[in-house]
Amino acid sequence: MGPLSSYYVFPEWLDLLVAFLIGTGFGFALEQAGFSSSRRLAGMFYGYDTTVIKVFFTAAIVALVGSQLLNYFGLLNLNQVYVNEFYTGAAIIGGVIMGAGFIMGGFCPGTGLSALSIGKIDAMVFAAGGLLGAFLFAETYPSIQNLANGGYKGAVKINESLGISPGLFTLLLIAAAGLMFWIAELAEKRYARPDITNEI
Amino acid sequence: METRRKITAILLLVGSLLALLPLTANRSFIVKPKKLLSDILASEVSYTADQVARFIVNEDSTVRLIDLRSPEEFKKLNIPGSVNVPYIDFINSDLYIYLNNKNVRNIFYSNDDFYSNYALVYSRGLGYRNSYVMEGGLSEWFDVIIESKFTGERISARENAIYETRSKAAKLFTQINSLPDSLKAGLMSSNKFSARKLDGGCE
Repeated sequence: MGPLSSYYVFPEWLDLLVAFLIGTGFGFALEQAGFSSSRRLAGMFYGYDTTVIKVFFTAAIVALVGSQLLNYFGLLNLNQVYVNEFYTGAAIIGGVIMGAGFIMGGFCPGTGLSALSIGKIDAMVFAAGGLLGAFLFAETYPSIQNLANGGYKGAVKINESLGISPGLFTLLLIAAAGLMFWIAELAEKRYARPDITNEI
Repeated sequence: METRRKITAILLLVGSLLALLPLTANRSFIVKPKKLLSDILASEVSYTADQVARFIVNEDSTVRLIDLRSPEEFKKLNIPGSVNVPYIDFINSDLYIYLNNKNVRNIFYSNDDFYSNYALVYSRGLGYRNSYVMEGGLSEWFDVIIESKFTGERISARENAIYETRSKAAKLFTQINSLPDSLKAGLMSSNKFSARKLDGGCE
């Protein structure tokens, strides 16, 4: 039955419309949850507010459990779901650059655009920086091409490389998430900054 | 109990159930995108209608034609010797069932190139290098083989050989597709895939 776009050919405008509606809903949810405040994301790094990791990790495991269940009930064919390709070097270096951008800007790309839409000036500067980064990447691509495409591992799934079933991996990830949430709450108590968190 | 503790408990419970379920057939592409792209764009992965007609006339056993259209379309018309695996069934199954024999060239066709090309990318991406397509699908087959006519006064030996193959293939096609439905159904069921995926346990 699903993913619908693999089984049925939709016109491009419908694909774009669906993407627009999902994106709008996502941005709205982020804004409502207070994620458009850069102090919330910065809190993740300083330990006084770990809402971001809890929300995103919960979303990831709910989606993981949901898609696995739909797969077992024959409603979603996971073979047809796109898996992002893994490039070792690009993932490590890109991850470090992105992490530095997160802490310096106080936003991730999603929350940045969400904050931009409610007129936050710091988010506008953040988005401009993102666009400048994309421009520089495109302009310098020929010289960093080998790095960007190096260490290609294909569309690997963690459970496949570990040789365990997707279900067992899901269980391990849920357990890891639970442990991480517990540590995050300990950090919140230790590095509490009520002067900031009360204002968010 | 706090709501978040309840949610964590539910997720852990569902996760434990998932961990007990058997490993699914989910698999990822094993061919690099660049390599896959150059593979499927190469001329070696496609056969013309004339080449397919020659395989049929010569009863080439190293070739298997896979018709990706719906069973209704297949019942109405199909190329002699082809096996029907509707596209949705094809992408939903473990391809090992259909493509496991490395000595057989599997040639996909549909009404045009659309689904056959999708099937080609999918199967080659999963490492089945014995996958091919028939260029232009059934519409090309009709234009080149069925509608083939010789006009003119002189014919070269090469043209004559092509024309003969085309007319033999067209004759076979017409004979098989004009059979009564009951006979056709019997013929088609004998052409089905017999290979089954091995299951564990007792049955």
